[in-house]
Amino acid sequence: MNTRAAVPLAILALALSALCATAQAQPRTPSAAIPRGVDGKPDFSGVWQSLSAADYGLEPHLARTKEEPPGMGVVEGDVIPYTPAALEQRAKNFAARATADPRTNCYTLGTPRGIYGNEPFQIFQRPRDLTLMFEFGHPVRTIHTNNTEHPDGHIDFWLGDSRGHWDRDTLVVDVTDFNGETWLDRAGDFNSDELHLVERWSFVDRNTVRYRATFEDPKVYTRPWTLEVLLYRRLEKNVQLIENYCSTLDYGEFYPLPHSGN
Amino acid sequence: MRNFALPIFFGALALASNVAFGQGMRGWRETSFVPTPRGDWAGERLPDGQPDVSGHWSNTIGNHNNLTDPQGPLGVDDEAPRQNSRQNTREPKPRSERAPSRVSDPPDGEIPLKPWARAKQREFLKYLNNPIKPEYVEPFARCAPGGPSKSFMWHGYEIRQFPGYVVFLFDSGNRVIHLDGKPHLPANLKLWNGDSRGHWEGNTLVVDTTNNNSKARLGRTGEFVSENATIQEFFIFDPNGNRFTYQAAYTDPTVLTRPFTITIPNRRITDKTPADDWNNLTFPAKHAGNEPVIEAYERICVEGNGNHGQPAAATH
Repeated sequence: MNTRAAVPLAILALALSALCATAQAQPRTPSAAIPRGVDGKPDFSGVWQSLSAADYGLEPHLARTKEEPPGMGVVEGDVIPYTPAALEQRAKNFAARATADPRTNCYTLGTPRGIYGNEPFQIFQRPRDLTLMFEFGHPVRTIHTNNTEHPDGHIDFWLGDSRGHWDRDTLVVDVTDFNGETWLDRAGDFNSDELHLVERWSFVDRNTVRYRATFEDPKVYTRPWTLEVLLYRRLEKNVQLIENYCSTLDYGEFYPLPHSGN
Repeated sequence: MRNFALPIFFGALALASNVAFGQGMRGWRETSFVPTPRGDWAGERLPDGQPDVSGHWSNTIGNHNNLTDPQGPLGVDDEAPRQNSRQNTREPKPRSERAPSRVSDPPDGEIPLKPWARAKQREFLKYLNNPIKPEYVEPFARCAPGGPSKSFMWHGYEIRQFPGYVVFLFDSGNRVIHLDGKPHLPANLKLWNGDSRGHWEGNTLVVDTTNNNSKARLGRTGEFVSENATIQEFFIFDPNGNRFTYQAAYTDPTVLTRPFTITIPNRRITDKTPADDWNNLTFPAKHAGNEPVIEAYERICVEGNGNHGQPAAATH
C-alpha cells in the first residue's frame, strides 16, 4: 500500500467507525433523550396511540371488509398458541364478531386491548402510580408503582389489577384479576379470567414507546406468548382526549329536554 | 364463585337505591355546611407548585335524590310503585334540622327556571319512579356520567394531580381539568362532563367549564340546564387540606331567568375514615410496609349492565 495514502485512509476509517459507533449507540442509550419524572424514572406522560391495526386482528391478516385494514400482525411467531377447544371458541367468536365483540356494546376494551385500540389513551404519571385514561368509554386503569401487591383472592376487574416496578428504564407490570369478558381484538381473539399478563414498557425515543405483553393463561393457551406494538405520541397542537362515553350513544337522543319554541 | 358484589356498584342502581340513608352514613353526614374561605394556601405543595389536594374525598351532605333539600324526601308522587323495600320508608327530620339547599344563590334556594322549564322539571319528577317515556329515565341510572356538579353528589371519589392537570375519578365518569391554558374544544363538541380549563388562585382551583351537553340532570328531582350552559367552578380548600367547598355558578339564558350557584361541602377520606360502602369506598392496599396506603377498586359502571349496572364480582 502507498504509505502516503495510508494516513488519510486511516483517518477516514477512524472517522467512519466513530460515526458508526454514534449511530449504533443512539438507539441503545436513549436515556439522555427520554423524558423523566421528578423521581428520575422514565416519564410516560402524554397522549399515545398505536398504528399497528392490531385491534383488527393480532395475527397477520388481510383486509376482511371495506372497513377493516390489513395488518402484519403483532404476535411473535405470528400465531397465538390456542388449545384446541379455545381455537374452536375463537372461530365462533370470529363468525359472530359483528355483534359479539364486546366493543360493539361499548364495553371497556380491557387490558391490553385498550393500549392498541383505535382511539388514543392518555398516561398521567406520578411516582406512586400511572393513570391510564382511555378515550373509548373513558375508563381509567391504574398501574400502582408504590410497592403494593395484588389484593388477596380473585377479583373480576375489567382492566385487571396492575402492579408495576422498574427494571432500570423499563416499567414491568404484573396484571392479574381479569373478568374474562373482554376480547383481544375484533377477530375474536380472547383470554380467560385466569390470564396472567406481564407488560414491559420502554422508550424507543422520546416520542415512541415499545410495549410488550406476555400472556400466560393455561385455560386458553398451550404456552406463554408475546405481542409487541409501538405507541406513538400524539403531537398535534393542543391535542386532548375527547370523552367518548360510547354506551351513552344508545340513549343520548332523549336528553337534554327539548326546549324548542320556548 | 362470583357472589360477592362490591357495594361500590350498588350505586349504579340509582333508580331504586336510597342507600344514602344507610346505617354507615350517620357518622359522616352533616346538617350544615362548614365554610372554607378563599385565601392563601399554606399546606403542602406538589413539585410543580400546585397545592397538594390529591387523595380520596366525599361530600358531607347527601346524595343526588333531592337537589334543594339534600336530606329531605325525594318529593316524588307517593302513589308511584316503590323500587325496593328501603325507599321512602324513613321519616325525614323537620326541614329546619336538615341540611340547607345546595342552591346557595338565589337566596330562596331554588333554581331560577323559566316557567316552561319548571313545568318540565315537575313532569320529570312525577314520572321518575314510573318512567313511561325514555326521557323520564334519569341518565345516571343508565350509568351515564353525572355531569360537572352532580358527580359530587354521589359516592366518594378521588382527586389525582399531575403537572398541568387535576383529574377527578368518579364512580360514573371521569373529569380532566386542564391547567395549561390550551383553548377549549370546538364549541359544537358537547360533552357529558364538559370541557374544563382551570388555574389555581391561592387555596382555590378556579375552573371554566364549557361544551356541556347538559344531558345529566342536576338531581333526581329533575332540575336541568341546556347545552348553552356555561359553568364557573370554584374548589375552595381549607388550610389543613381536610375539607373543600365546591361552588358552581351556572349561566344559561335558555332555561334560566338568572344565574344560580350550587354549593357542595366535601371532606377528605383517610385511612382512619370508617368504611361505609358509600362515602368511603377505599380499602387498605396490601404491602409489606407499615405505613397506611389506601386505594379504590376500578370504577366501571356501564359494561354488561343491562342499563342498570351489573355489579362487579369477587371472591375472597
